[in-house]
Amino acid sequence: MNNKIKVACIIDDDNIYVNLVKKIIETKKLCDNLLVFKDGKDGIDYFEALLQNLNQKGIPEIILLDINMPIMDGWEFIERFTKIQNKFDKRITLYVVSSSINVTDIDKAKSLSTVQNYLVKPVNIDDLEAVFSRTA
Amino acid sequence: MSESTLEKFVMPNSEICYWELHNNTSFWSQAFISKLGYDISQIDINLEFFLSKIIHKNHASTFRDNFYNLVRHDVHFKQNILLLNSKGDYEEFICKTNEELTLSLKPNAKAIYFFKAKIKTHPKVKDDYYYLETASMTSTGSWYIDFENKRSYWDQITRKILDYPEDFIPSLRMALTLYAKEHHAIATNAFLNCAISGTPFDLEIIMIKSTNKRFWARAIGKPVYNEGREIIGMRGVFQNIDSVKTKEINLKRTSEIVASQNSRLFNFAHIVSHNLRSHSSNLELIVQYIESIDNPAEQLMMLSTIKEVSSSLNKTIGHLNEVVTIQTNCQQHKEDVSISATLDQVCKSIGQIITTNNVTINTDFKAGDIVSYIPAYMESIILNILTNAIKYKHPDRDPIINFKTSLNYRNNDRLILEISDNGIGIDLDKFGDKIFGMYKTFHLNKDAVGIGLFITKNQIESLNGEILVDSEVNKGTVFTIKF
Repeated sequence: MNNKIKVACIIDDDNIYVNLVKKIIETKKLCDNLLVFKDGKDGIDYFEALLQNLNQKGIPEIILLDINMPIMDGWEFIERFTKIQNKFDKRITLYVVSSSINVTDIDKAKSLSTVQNYLVKPVNIDDLEAVFSRTA
Repeated sequence: MSESTLEKFVMPNSEICYWELHNNTSFWSQAFISKLGYDISQIDINLEFFLSKIIHKNHASTFRDNFYNLVRHDVHFKQNILLLNSKGDYEEFICKTNEELTLSLKPNAKAIYFFKAKIKTHPKVKDDYYYLETASMTSTGSWYIDFENKRSYWDQITRKILDYPEDFIPSLRMALTLYAKEHHAIATNAFLNCAISGTPFDLEIIMIKSTNKRFWARAIGKPVYNEGREIIGMRGVFQNIDSVKTKEINLKRTSEIVASQNSRLFNFAHIVSHNLRSHSSNLELIVQYIESIDNPAEQLMMLSTIKEVSSSLNKTIGHLNEVVTIQTNCQQHKEDVSISATLDQVCKSIGQIITTNNVTINTDFKAGDIVSYIPAYMESIILNILTNAIKYKHPDRDPIINFKTSLNYRNNDRLILEISDNGIGIDLDKFGDKIFGMYKTFHLNKDAVGIGLFITKNQIESLNGEILVDSEVNKGTVFTIKF
């Protein structure tokens, strides 16, 4: 795979889930570098800082975003991210990955143009591989 | 004579006796005039002539009121009247308005129809008897206010409803004292509107008997006009509807309780599915991962992750259990609980935290201190809010927490406890509806679990209370508990 994803980003407050996905990504060598943020605020701070100091290596190609998080939830992250998304000269694909099976959440996410897709936890390994290869 | 659309387009050569009223002019149908045996030259077509020359004097004033209420306020009516014919005899008619008889008139035009009564009404004595029976059986008393002489009159049933002696003479000055304080504004408004602009009213209102007993009444009133079309008084009825209204209120309360229980259950089901899902999905992912790797050593390593998941699953189930217990515990025995004593007890149990954080606690329980409550809940509620206030104290100042009780102005039985702090506060615009949710944390504090306020709210609501929050970032938070 010559255009394999180099940097991916997970924004999620569920430690166990994050560690698991990390492991799977490592084992399956789905990407070279994985950024992990514990809530939307940490995540958006990173992207906003990245704009000041455009370091191509630090821009992830995909974001896996949780919805229910303390401080800044996924919705607010999407709102802020949508405003700056086009300033990066790399396409960043955003997936919502949540254990919420609430239809309003799912519909809301799918109605947002920034959101590529809504994945319901548990994601399986095949799903992850698909996500990582679709953008590749 | 004004032109009548009714006659022209709808019912030419009609046999129907009616008046058409439009823009201050009235038209009397030919049938109306001829039925009474009059010739157009003998009469004047206007209300004054009708009131003074045609209608029986006993019916004139009621008809006048009905007439103006129709013209000015669209109040329809039906009245039995006696009309003088050209031979000098009275004939009985029923007059009705176009609410019941819809014919296309000019826009805004109104019609009054006169039908010859087929059956003779009962003699007056009998009429009064039925009226009195109806009034007393439905507890409906009538009243009259005479603006010219500044007097008011009640019938015996009004006196009975309001518990005043049979020889009691009402006065205008006492009018407001007949209504409950919280309904003074409503009563004043209705009566003034009726007196000034002639708007009739029909309200459900709490009235006060001479014995100070409160009861729900239906109060209906309408203006009384003189020949000069001025409002010279008001008449109406009071009906005691206490038992019906009380049932209605109780029913409403019950349905509110059911609705809130239902919404709590729904919420709970949602929480259960959501919180258990995150664990089960983690377990599933672990199993998948284990299956996808061949290295036994690494597979074994995943066991520790399973342990992690199972312990947090256990914790979640523990929390859910706590909530279930609340739902079933609300039947538990209530006792008189002292808020101040409970607070002292809580302060003792977390004395360490209070001293290390330099917490000042002010109390004011003058309005009340004792509530019939489940003691364990009171302790848990106070503990939760107190520890929250300390946990989320402002970094620049020592926490000051105030406990103050007050009485509900509507219902003096209900005690209200207000707990305010000077902590970091919370952005309610952002988190407002979520603050009492499960596993919702809004700050970076490590020990935030997001279960405390959820439990507190459930405990309070299971005992039919209410908890509200008001907060300003960097100023502090106020929790208001209605027991």
